[in-house]
Amino acid sequence: MESNNDEALDIIVTNVVATFRTRCHLNLRKIALEGINVIYKPEVGKVLMKLRKPTITASIWSSGKIICTGATSEEEAKLGARRLARCLQKLGFKVRFSAFRVVNVLAVCSMPFAVHLIDFTKNNRPIASYEPELHPAATYRIKNLKATVQVFSTGSLTVTGHGTNTYP
Amino acid sequence: MSAAGLRCPGCGSSNIVDDDLYCQAQLVCVDCGSVVSEGTLADDPVGGTDVSYSRTTEVTRKPCLNLIKGLERVKEICRILRVSSEIEDLALTHFRQAYEHESFINVTLQRKELLAGCCVFVSCRQRDWPITLGTISCLLNADQTLVGGVYQNMMKILNIQAPFINVTDVIEAHVQEYKISTQHVPEELAEDSKVLSKRAVALVELAGDSWIVTGRKPLPIMMAATYLAWQSLNPNKHRLKLSLDKFCQLAKVQKRKPATTRITELKEVLCKLGRELPWVREPVTQNDVVRLVGDILEHRHTLLTRALRTHERAMEADCTQTFALNSLTEEVAPSQISESRDQTANASSVVQPCPNTRGENQEGDGDENHQSEDPEPNWGKRVLFAPPCVLHAKMRRVERPVQNVTGDEEISDSEIDSYIRSPQEVRDFAQMQKMASCSDIGKS
Repeated sequence: MESNNDEALDIIVTNVVATFRTRCHLNLRKIALEGINVIYKPEVGKVLMKLRKPTITASIWSSGKIICTGATSEEEAKLGARRLARCLQKLGFKVRFSAFRVVNVLAVCSMPFAVHLIDFTKNNRPIASYEPELHPAATYRIKNLKATVQVFSTGSLTVTGHGTNTYP
Repeated sequence: MSAAGLRCPGCGSSNIVDDDLYCQAQLVCVDCGSVVSEGTLADDPVGGTDVSYSRTTEVTRKPCLNLIKGLERVKEICRILRVSSEIEDLALTHFRQAYEHESFINVTLQRKELLAGCCVFVSCRQRDWPITLGTISCLLNADQTLVGGVYQNMMKILNIQAPFINVTDVIEAHVQEYKISTQHVPEELAEDSKVLSKRAVALVELAGDSWIVTGRKPLPIMMAATYLAWQSLNPNKHRLKLSLDKFCQLAKVQKRKPATTRITELKEVLCKLGRELPWVREPVTQNDVVRLVGDILEHRHTLLTRALRTHERAMEADCTQTFALNSLTEEVAPSQISESRDQTANASSVVQPCPNTRGENQEGDGDENHQSEDPEPNWGKRVLFAPPCVLHAKMRRVERPVQNVTGDEEISDSEIDSYIRSPQEVRDFAQMQKMASCSDIGKS
């Protein structure tokens, strides 16, 4: 296992999940009829709306709760959410953009060396756990940050955790 | 019976009134106070009271029926697997403890059965009895992901650690399943399970040393090792011609799809070691490496050391060669790299001229896709053994991150209009939907 401390590692945020509320009831059929890039799922009771810029997929429920996924930064998620709220406003709903909250942030990183998962888990018990039959990565939970790191044998890491939540 | 018309049997008075005592209806004579008649205790429900005896008066609690059934199931599973009594007792203790927890007390019977299986599984692991989750799932006739979920929940509740299963221990049990002794198959295809198991263990150890095992499910690796071991113990044309599919049909085991990839990966490693055999003159390919497996496994430690040394020497030679080339084409190389790799600074790419330019030379014409990759595939190519996902890295599209987004920018109307249909489009869409649903009804 070579570890070169001089190399900089690129940590790339690949997904940000955020939620917000519109404080009004939304007619899903109307959104499905008048919106472009929408998929109506009546069996689940939601509408999926995809925005182009930023690339965001939003799940819209009739209660007015909306979940946005696919952004690559928290600012982008907020911009996408606002765009979506404006879109719904234009469709005729009395939308008030509120309770915006970043729920989850996913980042990936790649180490230039392989990791022997069994030894890694043995050295980091009980914080790390690894079940090869269930999942190919070892899960490392950082309690105080409420983050989970998944370590793969190829040296790739995925980090999942809460956002900074600095929005009013 | 009404009070009027009654006579008290004691004093003969007809002055009888209703004087109910708590819930009991009573007719009482006013003069002498004797009770003329009384009714039954009011409102006794049919079939006993609402509050059952066991919840009020019973002193010792009898164990829940499902708990008893669950413990029986644990014992059953232990007897099927023929584990020691120590493991059985440990499993019963775990089950009793986990059963009382809120995550398992009010769940379906199926989940309770999975809990029983998981308790046996963790007890086997704690006492170094080789068993896989796949076996337990098979016994319980349940989906492995479901069993995995219950298992992880249980581990959290019981707060215990389970040591890892060594694949080399499990493979001996695995090989027993294959029906390829002389009584099941013809002579040229038959193999003794002890001999087969020994060779398969050696192959799995080799796989473990060369990054094939870590991060992977154990079963396909064991299958691949068994197949290669069987072929190599007697590499006649019958065995070499038989594919993994046919082999599994012959041995009456269910084939696992990833086993084919594992076989290729194992053969690659065997080829790398086979090249180091001093008595082999011709180049070693995937097709003829099977004949050399016996020799390779016998001397694998020496061959590993030799292979690593050869690889090191090759890397050094390459490095000095490209460094010489690099000094001649220094003006060209950094500009090429800086064009395509706009994420990394120019300085860092020049600091490591050796691996980067080696990568360039290896990939030939240096097209953009390869060079815009981060260093990941390069480090894989630098070492002799690496996890196969690194050696054959998938080309990933590098997403360019949006710069300078604050989240509070202005949103123009025209942008939003692009997401909304015009009234004409809405009418057309509604009509088309109606037509589509009509034609569906017409068809059905």
